[in-house]
Amino acid sequence: MITYIVKRLLLALVTIWAITIVSFVIIQLPPGDFVNSYIAQMSSAGGQVTIEETKALRELYGLDRPIWEQYFAWMGRMANGDFGQALEFRRPVSEVIVDRLWLTIVVSVAAIMLTWMLALPIGIYSAVNQYSFADHAFTFIGFIGIAIPNFLLALIIMYFSFKLFGANVGGLFSPEFERAAWSWAKVWDLAKHLPLPALILALAGTAQLVRIMRANLLDELRRPYVVTARAKGLRERRVILKYPVRAALNPFASTIGYLFPFIVSGSIIVSLVLSLPTVGPLLLRALLAQDIYLAGTIILLLGVLTVIGTFISDLVLMWVDPRIRAGFSA
Amino acid sequence: MELKKLGTASVILLLGAATALLPGKIHAQDALSESGLVGELEGATLVLDPAAIPASFSEAPMLAERVGAGELPPVEERLPSEPLVIQPVHEIGQYGGTWRRGFLGPADGENGNRINASDKLLFWDHTGTEIVPSAAKGWELSEDGKTMTIELREGMKWSDGEPFTADDFVFWFEDIYNDRDIASLISDMSPGGKPGRVVKMDETTVQFQFDEPYFLFVDMLAGDTLIGGGQSVRQARGQSYGAYAPAHYLRQFLPKYAGQDAVDAMAAEDGFENWIQLFHFKKDWQLNPELPTIGPWVTVEPINTPSWVMERNPYYWAVDTEGNQLPYIDEIVMSLAEDTEVLNLRAVAGEYDLQERHIDLGKLPVILENAEGSDYSVHLDLAFNGSDTTLQFNQSYDADAEMAKWIKNADFRRALSLGIDRDQLNDTFWLGVGIPGSAVPADSSPYNPGPEWRDKWSTHDPDTANEMLDAIGLDQKDSEGFRVRTDNGERLRLEVQAVKAFLPWPQQAEMIAQQWKDIGIQADVKEFERGMAVGRTHNNEHQVMVWTNGGTELLYLFPRHAIPVDPTEAYVGPKWGTWYASNGAEGVKPDDPYMLEIYDLFRSAAGQKEEERYKTAQEIWKIVVDQQYGIGTVGQSPALMGVRLASNKLGNIPSRVCIAQHCRTPGGSHPETWFFKE
Repeated sequence: MITYIVKRLLLALVTIWAITIVSFVIIQLPPGDFVNSYIAQMSSAGGQVTIEETKALRELYGLDRPIWEQYFAWMGRMANGDFGQALEFRRPVSEVIVDRLWLTIVVSVAAIMLTWMLALPIGIYSAVNQYSFADHAFTFIGFIGIAIPNFLLALIIMYFSFKLFGANVGGLFSPEFERAAWSWAKVWDLAKHLPLPALILALAGTAQLVRIMRANLLDELRRPYVVTARAKGLRERRVILKYPVRAALNPFASTIGYLFPFIVSGSIIVSLVLSLPTVGPLLLRALLAQDIYLAGTIILLLGVLTVIGTFISDLVLMWVDPRIRAGFSA
Repeated sequence: MELKKLGTASVILLLGAATALLPGKIHAQDALSESGLVGELEGATLVLDPAAIPASFSEAPMLAERVGAGELPPVEERLPSEPLVIQPVHEIGQYGGTWRRGFLGPADGENGNRINASDKLLFWDHTGTEIVPSAAKGWELSEDGKTMTIELREGMKWSDGEPFTADDFVFWFEDIYNDRDIASLISDMSPGGKPGRVVKMDETTVQFQFDEPYFLFVDMLAGDTLIGGGQSVRQARGQSYGAYAPAHYLRQFLPKYAGQDAVDAMAAEDGFENWIQLFHFKKDWQLNPELPTIGPWVTVEPINTPSWVMERNPYYWAVDTEGNQLPYIDEIVMSLAEDTEVLNLRAVAGEYDLQERHIDLGKLPVILENAEGSDYSVHLDLAFNGSDTTLQFNQSYDADAEMAKWIKNADFRRALSLGIDRDQLNDTFWLGVGIPGSAVPADSSPYNPGPEWRDKWSTHDPDTANEMLDAIGLDQKDSEGFRVRTDNGERLRLEVQAVKAFLPWPQQAEMIAQQWKDIGIQADVKEFERGMAVGRTHNNEHQVMVWTNGGTELLYLFPRHAIPVDPTEAYVGPKWGTWYASNGAEGVKPDDPYMLEIYDLFRSAAGQKEEERYKTAQEIWKIVVDQQYGIGTVGQSPALMGVRLASNKLGNIPSRVCIAQHCRTPGGSHPETWFFKE
């Protein structure tokens, strides 16, 4: 088992190195470069960029060098913990990302908790009471949840919460707290603004999870061991929660790998519509501005988180599922 | 209350009815003027008589406190001996308050530049027609037009209290503008291709000296040009123009004064790759709160954070007629909106005190509906440019010989222009408030060649268009009625490149494509992201580009949306534009005699006096419209920065302001005279 873990670790390192190449190449794929988007911005603001200036800018940012040279320069700096300057923000990339990282994690974790808190009980209930009225109702709502793009939902909910309740539009803080230093009052203000984005982010995921949970559990409920457990006189509650639910949770453990990157840049469009100061809109902005260092670092971060997440989900699977552990000793 | 509500509702109805039932523009425009949303042009004015300078001065309480604490010298010592005296539009204001506003992030620096626009040497008055002093006290152009003398204000200071003198101009000229690592030569400073000079005469007198007559230079200094734009806009975002710079502060970042090793070390310490990047950062007022500036507000929290915050400049050199140092408002807080939709919704919710930037004309009904509840008033400011949506035909296109042949055919372009139903566009996208027609500026403009040029080739006449297209040899059609290419018999497909930027251009282009079906023309609308569209135009890849012609109302200061002279945006012919800008060294020489004539006229204008210059501009406009290089559609509208939401708490808000590139909306109406009434 130890050798298995070591092997996975080594493989993870190779994967991460491959990701650095892929992420650097991906952001270079669209035609044009940061200087194009810079000129676009300058010109839409009435500015003028001369031919000489265009050349000088490419030289200044090293964009005139061949792509492999740019890649190695980037890698060399990263080895020293320097992710470069975000071209549009003109601040170090690490600062720009860290600025938004904590709020991002707060929003995403709240969304994930909400998803689980809603989806698991509903999924279990729907499976156990298959074809009941409540099951049909949840299924109906669930499909609507999957079908409506949640950015649309975000816009509608945002407009009505302003119209009906006079709530602030978008963002995570009231204007008076936006610039205030951290205090209990500010934390409370954040807590008040959190439910709306968390709910919208959670809805689509919840609908999906309910369906998965229901289907998995239905499979398990028909297994002979459930019948045996019942026959032996276990209480219904214990029969369901102790055995089939645990088995049905397997797919959740294996999706932890995707959860990690979701925490950092889940649902870019919803964050954009709700104007959340999170990493998602930052990535979009960086890609549009062709800011190779900022976009590259975020994509790399997402890649690394996926690799780590997959690794952890392997470990978790080994832990929750005796069948996998048994596979090693056999 | 109810009446007011009824009023706004009926405006929408009126506009709707006018646009739906009645034939055309006049009625919608009538409804517009009756709506009370379009006011009379007004604004703060300057009192230029030295005798009118108030005898004593007063200051904001927040500054008086700092004076009391010994942190600042008294207001008399902070002001120049002859401050700029501004007569507010309605009343003397009172100090205090925070102006809340929205911005879209680090690329939206223009949002703040424009508020600080009075840091220009010369400026336009509130009507946008007359040149007045601003940071400079006065100016004099020599008889031969070769020497411009600028007189500065004695005792004027930078925002850190250091003197603002002629040395700051010489420093800019010698150590910034003439350092090829930092800046490149600009045509603004080189009439006839011969570089000019900046010379110090005494502490408060500077001369710009040229080898050729340059009568246009007064306009250049007043306009939003590279030389005249002022420090805030022209030394931000990596640019290094604008005529002056804080020498006492910036010297420490230049190798010439601090030594190469020292600047390299500083750059490395701050995480920059080289000293040039560090220097561009340090002289950028949006990013560096330490930088001394001369605008009414200074940055305290930079633009690359969630809130861009500005505070009053304690050394601002303008007062009202009673001697109160301006600005009235203490602080400006711009909060980041990740997206224009959120920004518009926040504006509607009353979360901003004054916002015109990024407000979407299409949302006017919702904006009016919420005006009372959110306690703001709505003003529609009409622009002077002829066409918010212009189809620019790439005259140097060469990727497809057959298409290039037609794009360069004047009758082809004229026919396409006649195939556009501008009233339908106006009703759908401008809510009927624009004026349909060609690309020429407003009839009231001295650059306008005459009212008949509004309609020239710019009415809806599909029959004539069809005849013209048949006559030039495009008379063959395929089974679906579309005209076919003459080289291979396949359908002729015109590619129209559109960006979703200031207006919903892709949707507008789709409507035009539908209208062109009646004249048998197939247009393929291709939507691109803005940076990519710019890349394509720089590579000469586009056939037709949809863009505004905003700025062309002052043809000499902002020509590029009408004629290809500036490679930044030479949509009418990138290779021709490069040829012109490089004086023939690069690019391709036009094979079109009309364009060569435009170039000659344009080149000669810099040395002409005002009246003659206007005539030359009118000649250029006649050719531009007759040739239809850019097909105009609908303009003189509030679509770009002309929908203004002002909190009812604010005083001195003009009922209508000039919206134009050179008016630096809202800067031209002197935001430093706005104030909170309670």
